[in-house]
Amino acid sequence: MTNDGMTNDEFPKTLPKVRPSTFVIRHSSFLVSIARRSIQLLSVGVLVLLPIMALYTHFKEAHAIHDLGENNWRNVAVRGVERFVNKDAGRQQLVQRTQGTIWSARLFGVSLSDPLAGAEAIISSRSFYKPMLWSLLIPVAVTVLFGRVFCGWICPMNTLLEVVDKCRRLLRIAEIRERDVKFSLKNKYFVLAVTLGLVGVTSVPFVALFYPPAVMSREVHLFVFGSTVGIGAYVLLAIGAIELFVSKRWWCRYICPGGALYSLLGRFRVVRVERDENKCVHCGECVRVCQFDLRPMLVQITGMECTNCGSCVRACDDDALRFRWMLPVIGMTNDGMTNDGMTNDECQTKNASSKSTLVIRASSFLLASSFVIGHSSFAQAHHILGLPHYSYKENYPQAPTLEYPATTGPYDVLMTSFPGHPVPGERTTIAFYIKDRNTGLPYELPVSMRALKTATFGANTVIMEPLIHEPTTNQHKYFVTFPDDGEYIVELTMDVEGKPEVIPFLMIAGAPTATKSVVIAIGAGLGSFLLVVRAVKLKRDRRRRLENVE
Amino acid sequence: MTLDRRDFVLNLLGLGAATATGAVGVGLFNQPAHAHAPIRPPGALPESDFLSTCIRCQRCADACPNHCIKATPESEGPVRAGTPFIQPREQACMLCSRVETEHLRCTEACPSGALQLVAKTLIDIQQKAQMGKAKVDLNLCYSYNDFTCGTCLKACPVGALRTGMWARPIVDMDACVGCGLCERVCIRYPHAIRVEAGERK
Repeated sequence: MTNDGMTNDEFPKTLPKVRPSTFVIRHSSFLVSIARRSIQLLSVGVLVLLPIMALYTHFKEAHAIHDLGENNWRNVAVRGVERFVNKDAGRQQLVQRTQGTIWSARLFGVSLSDPLAGAEAIISSRSFYKPMLWSLLIPVAVTVLFGRVFCGWICPMNTLLEVVDKCRRLLRIAEIRERDVKFSLKNKYFVLAVTLGLVGVTSVPFVALFYPPAVMSREVHLFVFGSTVGIGAYVLLAIGAIELFVSKRWWCRYICPGGALYSLLGRFRVVRVERDENKCVHCGECVRVCQFDLRPMLVQITGMECTNCGSCVRACDDDALRFRWMLPVIGMTNDGMTNDGMTNDECQTKNASSKSTLVIRASSFLLASSFVIGHSSFAQAHHILGLPHYSYKENYPQAPTLEYPATTGPYDVLMTSFPGHPVPGERTTIAFYIKDRNTGLPYELPVSMRALKTATFGANTVIMEPLIHEPTTNQHKYFVTFPDDGEYIVELTMDVEGKPEVIPFLMIAGAPTATKSVVIAIGAGLGSFLLVVRAVKLKRDRRRRLENVE
Repeated sequence: MTLDRRDFVLNLLGLGAATATGAVGVGLFNQPAHAHAPIRPPGALPESDFLSTCIRCQRCADACPNHCIKATPESEGPVRAGTPFIQPREQACMLCSRVETEHLRCTEACPSGALQLVAKTLIDIQQKAQMGKAKVDLNLCYSYNDFTCGTCLKACPVGALRTGMWARPIVDMDACVGCGLCERVCIRYPHAIRVEAGERK
């Protein structure tokens, strides 16, 4: 027997699931779901288009559109924008006025900011800046009228998590028990208060560091501009993994400070889902499909946490739920989560949660703050891989250089490499410029340098024996040829106040395979292999059992 | 959402405790600006105000026609992560000199006021766009070490580099806005002229 994948224990299984015998499309709810999907796709499109349009503007202003080079996806996209602009000055203005991330963006000249960004900016800077207030106008107005629609209709993270929902099928095939650990929905208001409190106390607007839509938008930016992703991508992955294996929509339901703010702003919304008590048969289908753990079956109209996504309206077989315009409801509304009309299971959840409120809240806070603190590490040496001056041509005649600063005793050491990213076999010029910080005079004693190839396991191999050099034009210059792809260490030995000092610098030649990515790839491959093996084994066992019965 | 007094007080205490813990945690990373302070885009507020006003949206980075504004990577710590900076050696600010615009584009794009509007006029730029000051390292500069070079003199867009004997550059500290074009064109490795972020008013 299939149970539709919902092992939601809270729901009375005694109530029969009513399905009409014929397939009927309820037009309005169908249209709503089509509209929602379109807007979700559109917002993902905007997410990707923002950096692409910015990239187009960069190329355009550098007069480099015709030097784009080979047809990789990035160049194809930029050429696509060029085709759209089609030398039309008005369109070019529009594209040029498109920039930013979902956190705060200018879309064809219209400035838009996330209300959370606005709240954060006001609290952190303790001032009001007019352009910011203008950019808040449309998002706040939409939220006040329609409620928490950002979460259900626009937020790219929610769209991603809806895709993850589909991945739950994989779990079902492998017969891994689906978990849906629940916490109090009020947690997120606590997280919001703590977050804004922290922003106010420290005057550091750090929300964009862990707020998933902002992180996602930033990572897309990084990917479009530099073909890499940052630590933020791992945060998103972690959210997705916990979503898949532990708790459904845990971020949106229990943690997200943005969702909390949207709920508060949308408290007096004019569009709500209304339940017709005469038609409702209490089948519980609406509760099962609700992504945000609300209970439309238990209330007259949905409360402030509802995202108006319309899943419940679409799922209702009895036409009992529908969208309605109504005057703002001044009194308390709820989403079936308070004492009135609570089911037994509800009461248990409530009791359990009140016992461990502090624990849960503290842990959710720690979680949120760990994202902030987890982002930090010590500043690294600066990697300067220069782009050619005023040009985006790859073969512009200026090779990139690499610079590493270091300090020892009273000296500032600057290591320069030309080219900065050598290919194996290429002669690389490595120069050290050593200056006394106090007197400003260059270091005039000879220094010695050797080069080593790093090994993941075992000892490093020496590729250049120590070589002693006198300075020429205030620099110590060496020529090294790196034999093959890999990571190397260049070791400088100099005399600091009578004692020899060794300073290592990291050099990368060619395109070495990073040990970390190999480990991740092997781990992920092994994991999915085991999953498939298990699924196949289960299937085979079941078939065998069936055959035995026959 | 009905709360009794006990719940309310507990919540309030928890809120205070959590905020205090977090504040200490974030404060640990909130180190004062050090010698290698990053160079901010034109029109930036003083560093501490800038850090508390910038919402890390990267609109300035997208708006820059010369692609010189970059976002600080997360590895620099939670306080500075996501804030815009300029690495002149890689790409320097050209003060929007080759594009049509009324104000410098990044200052126009900023929604939070971390970058204040700077009009594209020499007077406004020299008054408000204080990114830093250029500094010549006399040990490295070719012109000061028996070769005549003078590349940086031609690159300066605001006339802040005066020519000494044998094309030796002398920086006029009042006129320099710290755009970094001199650093960008310097032919010495490591470069002999560098922009250092200064105090902004």
